Amino acid sequence: MTITIALPSKGRMKDDASAIFERAGMKIVAVGNDRSYRGRVEGWDDVEIAFLSASEISRELGNGSIDFGVTGEDLVREGLANAEARVEFCARLGFGHADVVVAVPEIWYDVDTMADLGDVAADFRARHGRRLAIATKYWRLTQNHFSGSHGIQLYRIVESLGATEGAPASGSADIIVDITSTGSTLVANHLKILTDGVILRSEACLVRARKPAHDSDPVVGRILSAVRDAL
Amino acid sequence: MPLINLPAFSADLLADFESLGTLRVDTPVIQPAEPFLAMAGEDLRRRIFMTESETGESLCLRPEFTIPVCLRHIETATGTPKRYAYLGEVFRQRREGGNEFYQAGIEDLGDTDIAASDARAVGNAMRVVANRLPGRPLAVTLGDQAVFEAVVGACGLPGGWQKRLIHAFGDPKHLQKLLAELADPKAAGVFGPEVERLAINGMLDDEARLVAHIGETMEATGYSTNASRSPQDIARRLKEKMELANTRLDPETLDLVREFLALDMPLAEAPAALFRFAEKTGLTLDGALSRFDARVAALAAIDADISVIRYRAAFGRPLDYYTGLVFEVEAEGTPAVLAGGGRFDRLLTLLGAQEHIPAVGFSLWLDRIEAAITASGGAA
Repeated sequence: MTITIALPSKGRMKDDASAIFERAGMKIVAVGNDRSYRGRVEGWDDVEIAFLSASEISRELGNGSIDFGVTGEDLVREGLANAEARVEFCARLGFGHADVVVAVPEIWYDVDTMADLGDVAADFRARHGRRLAIATKYWRLTQNHFSGSHGIQLYRIVESLGATEGAPASGSADIIVDITSTGSTLVANHLKILTDGVILRSEACLVRARKPAHDSDPVVGRILSAVRDAL
Repeated sequence: MPLINLPAFSADLLADFESLGTLRVDTPVIQPAEPFLAMAGEDLRRRIFMTESETGESLCLRPEFTIPVCLRHIETATGTPKRYAYLGEVFRQRREGGNEFYQAGIEDLGDTDIAASDARAVGNAMRVVANRLPGRPLAVTLGDQAVFEAVVGACGLPGGWQKRLIHAFGDPKHLQKLLAELADPKAAGVFGPEVERLAINGMLDDEARLVAHIGETMEATGYSTNASRSPQDIARRLKEKMELANTRLDPETLDLVREFLALDMPLAEAPAALFRFAEKTGLTLDGALSRFDARVAALAAIDADISVIRYRAAFGRPLDYYTGLVFEVEAEGTPAVLAGGGRFDRLLTLLGAQEHIPAVGFSLWLDRIEAAITASGGAA
């Protein structure tokens, strides 16, 4: 069986991922020209490489149309319902660090924890005639954190696909759930992270789609130990 | 995929509804999604079937009847009191059972005799379930958020804590967590460094200065003072939060709240037991208890079989439009809830009604009733 590994198709994620595989003794070469979206691994004839966007990698892992993928944990946990049952996080690769966080305006002096936010959300409708609005692209992670972990049900999600950190100042939402690596964008927009508002500490991971065929395939084990040894 | 057929007993059920003096209404299957999400919260989004109109309006397949029936009542503006009945398909993603199934029920809007209309809702639900399952003993669970609110109110906690506890009522895990926090002397509130600076500048004791300072900072940082929380909102809750942080529940009061939440007994014994609880603990619960007693009396007055009803003090629903009575009807020997209902006095104003309209109702899970009929050997 040919094992397909999907890697990010561009940027730092692509370079960092390729570097780890090279250290693991799996040098990746593009098929055809440098910009090709297919690749192979020198000396590993039963492995092929697909270059995809990071969010496509998470989707294709869920579908099982690829065997391994390197992508951000946030994208996998956001993109797949019941992620643990469908994929295995095999290794944390030490790059692409970013946290998914709940951030509120700095000026909300009275809000530093999720419990504070719960109080504000409970009263919001009575005071403002609408529910507390959260700008985010992380629907699933937000719902799990708010209702699953903190019993907060009364809010509305406003979908935001870019420049989420600007939503509170522009008035399109009250607070945000977004990804941040250094926090500087949040500070620049006068937002603060709640003390228990880190939903996920994400980084690039080697993720395996759970497939029964993998149990009897020696190549799967070889890939895993090669990558783990290189970390 | 085969269509789910109308349950065979539908005609009999509708005849029951008619004999109970209700007006049958229908509502469109395709509904605006906004009211459901606004009332029930974001969690519902994963469980309903949503789509979008050509103009971008969010639409969904009717997930339940209460909100559409209430919206229809507000739109048609035909005055109260009104007793509506419905029977139709609803659409929800469920872990067990199909995604489309029938529900029927009664919504009683605008009756100001709270005890009588509460009792009628419970009595009617029991009657229509019993008529489908003749000879099967029923088991009814009843709860009352108003009694819990009275207990919390009488404990002398600051307003912020009362709100937190009441908000968590019906969510046992969350409620226990809050009670534990409230009892723990170590768990002080978390305050940011900015609040310390305000304290040093003496601003926390001077609300007018604090509001002005917050307003100026908001303007300087490009935040509107009226699009979201206002400077007054923030200053007021900061004060409330300092109160919260300084409040500890003494162990006696905590035990008392826990003792209350553990109450579980036949309804007939509940008025006396609640009276004894109030007397023993010295809590003043008079209003809530007399309303509770009036409901029990009203149930007896309409000849409902009180012996099958249990009162469970911790039973509630964590949605902010439920205000008092909640109940569930099961058939003995089957774990499924066949009917569920309650009082939602806050819903109609939340949905846009101009005046306050008290409301109580229940809905029946027709697929579960059908299964219970089959299980007891009857023809479904």
